[in-house]
Amino acid sequence: MSVRTTARRLRGAVIGIAVVATLASTVSACGNGGASAAAGGPSTLKWASSYFPTHWDPVVSGSGAQFRLLSLVHASLTRTDESGKAVPDLAKDWEYNTAGDQVTFHLRPGLKFTDGEPVDGAAIKFAIERAKTQKNSALFGDLTSIKEVTASGLDVVVKLTQVDHQIPQLLGQRVLQVSSPKAAQDPAKLDQNPVGAGPFVVTQLVPGTKAVLKKNPDYWDAANIHIDNVELTSAPDASTVVSGLQTGVYNFADLTPSQADAAKKAGLDVFVQPGFNASNISINVNKAPFDNPKVVDAVRHAINRKEFVDKLTFGLGEPTDQPFPEGYIAYDPESKNRWPYDPAKSKALLAEAGFQPGDIKLDLVIPDAQPASEIVQSQLAAVGITLTIKVDKNWSKPFFAKELALSIYGTTGRDSAVQTLTAHFGPNGPLNPSTPYEPAGFEAAVAKVRQTPLDSPDYPTALRAATKAGLDSKALVFTYSAPNLFVKNKSVSNLPKNPAHIDWTGVKISGR
Amino acid sequence: MVRRVLSLTAGRVSAAILLAIALLAVLGPLLAPLDPLAVSDDTLAGISGSHWLGTDYLGRDVFSRLLDGSRASVVGALEVTLMALVVGAIPGILSVYLGRVFEWVTLRVADTLIALPFLLFAVAITALLGNGITQAMLVTGVLVSPLFFRVSRAATLAVARSQYVEAALISGASLPWIIRRHVWAKVLPPIAVALAQTLGVGFIIVSSLSFLGIGVQPPEPTWGGLLASDLGYLDYRPWAPFAPALLIMATVWASNLLADAIRDVSGEAGRALLNSRKVRANQAAAAGGTA
Repeated sequence: MSVRTTARRLRGAVIGIAVVATLASTVSACGNGGASAAAGGPSTLKWASSYFPTHWDPVVSGSGAQFRLLSLVHASLTRTDESGKAVPDLAKDWEYNTAGDQVTFHLRPGLKFTDGEPVDGAAIKFAIERAKTQKNSALFGDLTSIKEVTASGLDVVVKLTQVDHQIPQLLGQRVLQVSSPKAAQDPAKLDQNPVGAGPFVVTQLVPGTKAVLKKNPDYWDAANIHIDNVELTSAPDASTVVSGLQTGVYNFADLTPSQADAAKKAGLDVFVQPGFNASNISINVNKAPFDNPKVVDAVRHAINRKEFVDKLTFGLGEPTDQPFPEGYIAYDPESKNRWPYDPAKSKALLAEAGFQPGDIKLDLVIPDAQPASEIVQSQLAAVGITLTIKVDKNWSKPFFAKELALSIYGTTGRDSAVQTLTAHFGPNGPLNPSTPYEPAGFEAAVAKVRQTPLDSPDYPTALRAATKAGLDSKALVFTYSAPNLFVKNKSVSNLPKNPAHIDWTGVKISGR
Repeated sequence: MVRRVLSLTAGRVSAAILLAIALLAVLGPLLAPLDPLAVSDDTLAGISGSHWLGTDYLGRDVFSRLLDGSRASVVGALEVTLMALVVGAIPGILSVYLGRVFEWVTLRVADTLIALPFLLFAVAITALLGNGITQAMLVTGVLVSPLFFRVSRAATLAVARSQYVEAALISGASLPWIIRRHVWAKVLPPIAVALAQTLGVGFIIVSSLSFLGIGVQPPEPTWGGLLASDLGYLDYRPWAPFAPALLIMATVWASNLLADAIRDVSGEAGRALLNSRKVRANQAAAAGGTA
């Protein structure tokens, strides 16, 4: 072999290796989403969320699912751990007085909001009072147990209207994400320019579309936050989410159950985060024909919960007749399947109430086209109740004013079981469609739970008794629990199994 | 004009398609083999003898829903078209004759309506008046009406300056008589073209709005609504969007083809003659003679 030939072959080999290496790196980048940086560079969470907040002021946003996104920016007084129990966040610890009607929170020292304001007792007092009094607050109904707040240095004393051991559980991410008091002087500006003391700080916000955040080095647990940047995007059409993850536009997203198979086939990590989701049929017992208890019972027996699970969650959800998942401390096993699916019995109850098939004609008013409404319509049609589905873009106004006779609703739950119960069954609960109706014995049962410390051996029994009393309510028929379904690129490590929360503590994103 | 339109291949094809769609709208709900609203446990099923286009996410027969949804889609498109015609064409003609104030006002209103995005406006109106197809389509018709306003106004302006109209005016003919006798005949062809075009636009609008869930109350099927729901289950039924999409495309294409055919037979250039065998033969002969 001549020198020239050898040189030519060597040159060809070098070029070939270079081409293969280039192609390999390109393909590899594409296969992994082509995401941000090489190994060792800044890690970026690219999250497509179907709950992109309309309001970034936690007081206005309320306790709904958006709290997960607002918690990127805001820390709260407490948080919950993987068992759902309140643990320290901005507060390092707390103690009740002997009577149980006053709780003192001790804050971590040296913390500050991202605008430089100190995180102290005065800031927490301001946050609680703002949530109780701000005109557009979505939280004031959750804070009725709080009579007065006083602050001294890093201590906050919360005086209560009643004995209530739920307060640390209550003042977590859903109800007390804390904004800078200086920024909150202008609530309208704060709503689109959030300032908190959470793990990240917003650097860019396009309302309703996109938010860019970077890590907050002053966050109290910054050492356990391993994500440098967050690009939060309002989720596009569900059918494009999987391809968005495959191409690296996102590396984390909410997922609808119908896309779960496609995501799995694409090699993505699909997982269900534990939670408290519960959907219901909201009935107004103050309006005919639901002022007749037999009609309510007929609806209860007409509902086939399995159909909701099979058709809407592709088997990933659970049928439920309670606002809590089975196994949760507040779940009452004795109430399970209390109103079994029995269309024959349903028809008989309607006949007993004096209604023939077709006599009852009602509007089912919903905010947008939801397949669940069509299932309710078909199941009630099967027992002779005719529903006309009406999509009302202004649905929230009549719904929360308790003006609708029939609707459907889904909740993501609350961190305090008592808050969940009072929201659904209390006389003024926002999710009780029949205000001021309250099931008999519920008030006393809830008061007993409030009076029972969470670490007392009597607590589970008292809580389940309250659940049982609440489930006597004729205003709500629980149907199914939708899964908290998420999909992520394999570069994102597993999340803590914190019920209903998305906790980024300890989560790592590998180089790509 | 109808006979002349049908003398063209494009006219015959478009008329045939639109007639078929019209028949679907009238007879579709009767032809549906199964109850289009009946849910079953057989969800997202493939094509079979019992379900010609499979079933949807609630186990409903898609073929039956497609047939049943034809009426709402066609009626919605017709509502848009007729509303646009009435609101646009009449003021367009009258703006030439009813003085400067009326002319100025109608022109400014038309400019304003053109500036409004119909989709957002339809969403706002349905939020205000309730989510019904009639209100959504009527509002959209108003927003589309400037097309008719401009077409009819331009045609009327051309006629109004003609000598025979001036002669009629001088001889004391009334305005309604002149419009009926002279203007209408000249304005009708361009309006017919606009009508056919708007029908196609109407189908796109009604499909777009129902795709977004506006104007139609579930579980009522529409072509756009079926398309929207199919997109959520592409992993299970990837072929599903083709049927409603094909119907929408065919209808819009036929409407545009019809508009072309009407224009061809009514245009001053006599484009219809180009389709005449005799003329083509003459042209070929002439081309051969000069070669």
